[in-house]
Amino acid sequence: MRGGHSPFKPRLRRSWRAPGELLNFTLYFLCAVLLVLSRIGHGAVVDARDRFIDLTAPLLEAASAPVIMGRHGLARVRSYVGIVSEIDRLKAENEELKQWEWRAKLLERNVAHLRSLLNAVDEPALHFVTGSVIADARGPFLRSALINLGRDDGVRIGYAVINGDGLVGRTVDAGASVTRVLLLNDLNSRIPVLVGAAGVRALASGDNSGELKLEFFPDGASPHSGDEVYTSGADGVLPRGLRVGAVTGSPGALKVRPHAELSSLDVVSVLFFDTPALTRTDPPAVPVAGPLSPAPDDAQAPPPTPTASAEPLPADATVKHVGTADGASPGAGVAQAQP
Amino acid sequence: MTAALPILSVLFAVLATAIPWGLPADATFILPLVVVMMVFCWRALPGTFLPPYLAMLLGLLTDIMSGGPLGFWALMALIASTAAGRVPPLADGQDRNQLWLVWAGVAAVIASLGWLLASLYFVRWIDWWPIGFGALVSVALFPVVLHGVLWIRRGKLRTGQTLYGRWS
Repeated sequence: MRGGHSPFKPRLRRSWRAPGELLNFTLYFLCAVLLVLSRIGHGAVVDARDRFIDLTAPLLEAASAPVIMGRHGLARVRSYVGIVSEIDRLKAENEELKQWEWRAKLLERNVAHLRSLLNAVDEPALHFVTGSVIADARGPFLRSALINLGRDDGVRIGYAVINGDGLVGRTVDAGASVTRVLLLNDLNSRIPVLVGAAGVRALASGDNSGELKLEFFPDGASPHSGDEVYTSGADGVLPRGLRVGAVTGSPGALKVRPHAELSSLDVVSVLFFDTPALTRTDPPAVPVAGPLSPAPDDAQAPPPTPTASAEPLPADATVKHVGTADGASPGAGVAQAQP
Repeated sequence: MTAALPILSVLFAVLATAIPWGLPADATFILPLVVVMMVFCWRALPGTFLPPYLAMLLGLLTDIMSGGPLGFWALMALIASTAAGRVPPLADGQDRNQLWLVWAGVAAVIASLGWLLASLYFVRWIDWWPIGFGALVSVALFPVVLHGVLWIRRGKLRTGQTLYGRWS
């Protein structure tokens, strides 16, 4: 303690005179009020936040661009470093995939034959729109991301968000040009899922860590490590069959490791999947005729690849396109039912 | 312009909290705590303009950017601002280790209060590790942030004030 000072010795500052203390008390009180309003989800608070995020979106997008470019550069350097072993791995994987391709074609023929016998109606295609992550809004309470798509692009609250690896989350706030995506590992995320080939029903809950907790499976069911997990669609919000992840951990403490790398998202697609539950909570501005909302007007552009590419795009690329993903036909991407 | 330096530098830090750095899930507390730490450092410097209401507003901005509950980081910034207002200003000959020690205490209070508040907010016990880890990292980063803040103010502080104690 040089100079005999105590670290907490009060010093004469204007803010510690009586009006200053009153102001301080008012500020603390205001924080408490804001926390309560935020907890109850007051409409004014939500609207104000959405408007502010919409206003700051261009700034966030500009500020994020160099960082995303740097991350891509780093990823490229890493891939160059391990390119020889990567080629060997890809060759082996290619051999294995050729066998899978043959099996897939066989199954496709069988499914088509069975569907024709049953007079099954084809599932309607899912429209989607693709954009990029502009801000990493992952606070202590929330694992979310802001994307450069909004209501102007046809996005509404509750839509599923995917990338090339699988389900990423769902939209929770939608402004005119920016949308907040609640990631799978958020504390408030609950996804009804099917586990393994048997399709055991369970619930995958986020806990703010990198993995999801797997809970509420039926008595007698025993999911194994490595089992695939995909959405069941039981919540009436998410489409059935979106890839979520794979089971990890030991019995009694099973977890799901998401296929999507949630901490470094770049390009994501929003699936337009309207259900009665969704229409009640966030009615569309213009009522739609069918159960699936049409893509926005500019959807007439030639459809791109049906899913967001896992390959990193150049940072300066404008990633905003619309297309359709067939929910039934195999090979149409990750946003389809598991066989 | 010099008077606006504290606000502008903290605003820059707030913006940095929203950029997709690709940090792991355990590291999400670090960047917002850097914002709070900057508020603390600026408030501990004499003659800087960063009153508590502006500290709160900057915290509120962090809340908006992070998508978390409004008022959480505003409260943390306010606590840091109040604590920094209670310590003798750095210009009084106080060495930086003392300020570092105070920040360690403030970080511990913020981490404990933040964890408790988060648990109350969500009505369940929140995992304490990310916030604890964030507080530890913030204590480790304190000299770097203080150096940064002093670097920003260097021009003004060289004009006769005896600052920086041992680390110069």
